[in-house]
Amino acid sequence: MTTALTVSNQASAGIDLLRIVRINEEIKSVVGVAFKINIMALNAIFLAKRAGTAARGFGVLSNELRVFSQDLRTSMGVLTDLIHRCVNEVSVVLQDIRHTRLLRAAVTMSPQSRLNEIISRRESGNDAHKARLSSLRKQLQRALDDAFQLVELGGVLAKSAKIEAAYGQSFAGSLAQVSGEFDGIVEEIRLSLQSLRRSAFFSAN
Amino acid sequence: MKTTSTIFQDGDHKWVAIVRDPARPNHLIDTNEYLITHGGKGLLLDPGGAEVFPAVFSALSSEFDPTALSAVFASHQDPDICSSLALWLEFNPSMRCYVSWLWSSFIPHFGGTAETFVGIPDEGMEISLNGLSLQAIPAHYLHSSGNFHLYDPQAKLFFSGDVGAALLPPTQNGLFVENFDTHIRHAEAFHRRWMGSNEAKRRWCERVAQMNIDMLCPQHGAIYRGADVHRFINWFDGLQVGIAGG
Repeated sequence: MTTALTVSNQASAGIDLLRIVRINEEIKSVVGVAFKINIMALNAIFLAKRAGTAARGFGVLSNELRVFSQDLRTSMGVLTDLIHRCVNEVSVVLQDIRHTRLLRAAVTMSPQSRLNEIISRRESGNDAHKARLSSLRKQLQRALDDAFQLVELGGVLAKSAKIEAAYGQSFAGSLAQVSGEFDGIVEEIRLSLQSLRRSAFFSAN
Repeated sequence: MKTTSTIFQDGDHKWVAIVRDPARPNHLIDTNEYLITHGGKGLLLDPGGAEVFPAVFSALSSEFDPTALSAVFASHQDPDICSSLALWLEFNPSMRCYVSWLWSSFIPHFGGTAETFVGIPDEGMEISLNGLSLQAIPAHYLHSSGNFHLYDPQAKLFFSGDVGAALLPPTQNGLFVENFDTHIRHAEAFHRRWMGSNEAKRRWCERVAQMNIDMLCPQHGAIYRGADVHRFINWFDGLQVGIAGG
């Protein structure tokens, strides 16, 4: 492997790490928003109870949105775990690159069959680490797709809540405001996850 | 590539100094590594930083079969001392690392497993290299809080880690100290700043002055030999240390 290629591998692993950090930051913000949805849904349930039978449908949907917020947090937990595993694997790959570079420099200066064996063993190890990282990329992508599906469902719930709010009689204004906020927040999460699914991290090998 | 010089030989008992790498980037401090061989086995003293591994490895290989390295001795925990450990272990996973007990859970961050490390107790210990008895001599706080030097009573050679180190200009890169007064100017600021305790220095000077030493071999700079060994101990004894400039 040439020095230029090593430098390029190192740079690409470094960029991978940066991309993972960005994905993680986005996930952290979604976790924060999921918590907010939970509180909002709880308030919406109380509001629906005060509105009585006219807001029964809204109450059911608010409860579903609360369940959604909990599912969303679970889903973000899965993503966070995968992110940590990706960080670990990229760190190992970065260390592999450095060690391989130094061992290769040693073999150039002092050709020895034993060193060649070690480099060959290390390269097999490096390939195994790269394969693990590649598998984690796919798992993370699948988990993001699942989270996206979940948020699509959340969007449907929020829109249905908007419709139900119209039947809230004297509470219709307050219910419309709450359901509008739900819709806005869920849309924000949807856009955030959509951008994550397009991350260049998933197009790397 | 670094150069090697045999500084002691008696049959198969050898000390080889691995020094001066012309290809070393200037931002890395220059280091000396020492290889002790006896009965076909080797002990590498302060194996060096990861970035100088290729140069040290190739120089060592030119003198000795690296698969016969049974251990490394790390005077303390600094990266220029032993951050190459993981690379040496790739070559020889059963190799041991002798280091102060204080650092035996810190240095594994550079590499190695629980089996790799042999913690040296504060009072020092005997290290056997295929029947050759070597002594780990306490040098705590000079500069590290868990610090050892290595004495070979048979060869009368003393590895002194950072004590005796000098940051030499490129024009003065000889293996041995030739003019003590000129040389020591390049050691003074280093010792004032890096050595943290006058009390520890006093005890070290008293202990080492009683030893029979032909050469004092530091990790940076040139080797003191003959009368320069005691000249250095006396100079160090009189130096006030633990002082930051400015």
